[in-house]
Amino acid sequence: MHGVRGACPSLVGSMQNVGMVISLLAFALVGIVLARGIVGKCFRLFPLFYSYIIYVFCGSLMMYLVYWCDRQAYRTAFWFYYLVSILVEFTVLVEISDQIFRRFPAIRNLGRALTIIISAAFGLLYVLPAILWSPAGRAATLLDFALRASVTKAIVLTTLIIAARHYGLELGKNVAGLMVGFSIYLGVNVANLAAALLFGRVLYGNIFWIMVPTGYALCLLIWMIALWERSSVPNVGEVSPVVGGSSDAVALELTRFNSELSKLLHK
Amino acid sequence: MIMLIYAAIAIAFLILVIGLLQKPEPHNLDDAFGEKGCAPKIGNGRWLDLSERIFDPSDSRWLQEDLAFPKLAKELMVRRKRLAVQWLEALQASFDDLVRTPDFAPVETSETNAAGGWRMLWLTVRFKLLVSYALFVVRLFGPYHRLIPSFSWVPLSPASERSFRRAALAVDRTSH
Repeated sequence: MHGVRGACPSLVGSMQNVGMVISLLAFALVGIVLARGIVGKCFRLFPLFYSYIIYVFCGSLMMYLVYWCDRQAYRTAFWFYYLVSILVEFTVLVEISDQIFRRFPAIRNLGRALTIIISAAFGLLYVLPAILWSPAGRAATLLDFALRASVTKAIVLTTLIIAARHYGLELGKNVAGLMVGFSIYLGVNVANLAAALLFGRVLYGNIFWIMVPTGYALCLLIWMIALWERSSVPNVGEVSPVVGGSSDAVALELTRFNSELSKLLHK
Repeated sequence: MIMLIYAAIAIAFLILVIGLLQKPEPHNLDDAFGEKGCAPKIGNGRWLDLSERIFDPSDSRWLQEDLAFPKLAKELMVRRKRLAVQWLEALQASFDDLVRTPDFAPVETSETNAAGGWRMLWLTVRFKLLVSYALFVVRLFGPYHRLIPSFSWVPLSPASERSFRRAALAVDRTSH
């Protein structure tokens, strides 16, 4: 997907070639991540992540086809794909949030709840106004929208890491790699989009079209290394002797804790 | 200026992520309640009895009103406040320990009771909110303050109270 962003027809001269090479490299990395997922049978472990990778692979392929077959339609197709991709990237966050808390019945849905609540709140109060009440032109509005969406994703990711840290959960190589890769991509994106908005197309245009695929290629490289092999389940700590690792027993204990605390509050 | 802010956000975000992904230190429940030799478990009756003593204002009242030692009563309250905070923190640590209990059932089986998962999450969030509120009230007002505000200030006239009682009685009779 982002590999193809480098192939936008607005590119000029050698910058265009560099951007195209990085884009193709990113596309190759997407292919390797996908192939490794098939070989290592990781699809069932990370279903949302691999569905996102399949989307990126097919989408990039489509964009290259449109670029080489019909350059008139490319610009419209590119922006449409770009906007959809910004939203589809949230599936990676949902996957990460599911994976962090998967083994803990009491907080299994915590990651998903945090992702949905923060995304919805920021979407309504921070991202949507960029589209509805933007005085700038269409390109600047789209960049602003992408920037705000990236900031929202960064906030969700930070919150998830803080929540995992709060409970002292170990993440394992696969999930930690997904998080590091995505955070590097988001960090590069935030700085890059802000610079693009500030300096404009004339000053920053060429650098922009190199930085975007570079950030994404770096992210894919980390994902590829992290997901090359299935990591063992991280050490989840000692099982409480009271509950013995059963979901129902945990639910019962949670209820007891709540009722004891309620009793104390009512005194 | 905006550019600088966003660049700072990006750098701070990356540093934060790398820093937070370091291996967390293992939790030790006993640290939360010192060397009392009384494990903070919800099933432990002694530990729950301890809360009755900590949050009971009668000792302080006895010192202040019956024995007329206001300074000692104040000193006792300060110590009880510290104990109450420790007790609540230990309760929270014990709860976090429970929350960290892993489920060894296969993931496919676990996914079937998604509704149960949301209910457990609600119980977890509810407990966290309540215990944070209790800690806030104890730290701010001390251990003898009512944690849920009393509604005794609502001006209920004796007549209306009587009518409530009559209505309740009537309901009681019809149900028999």
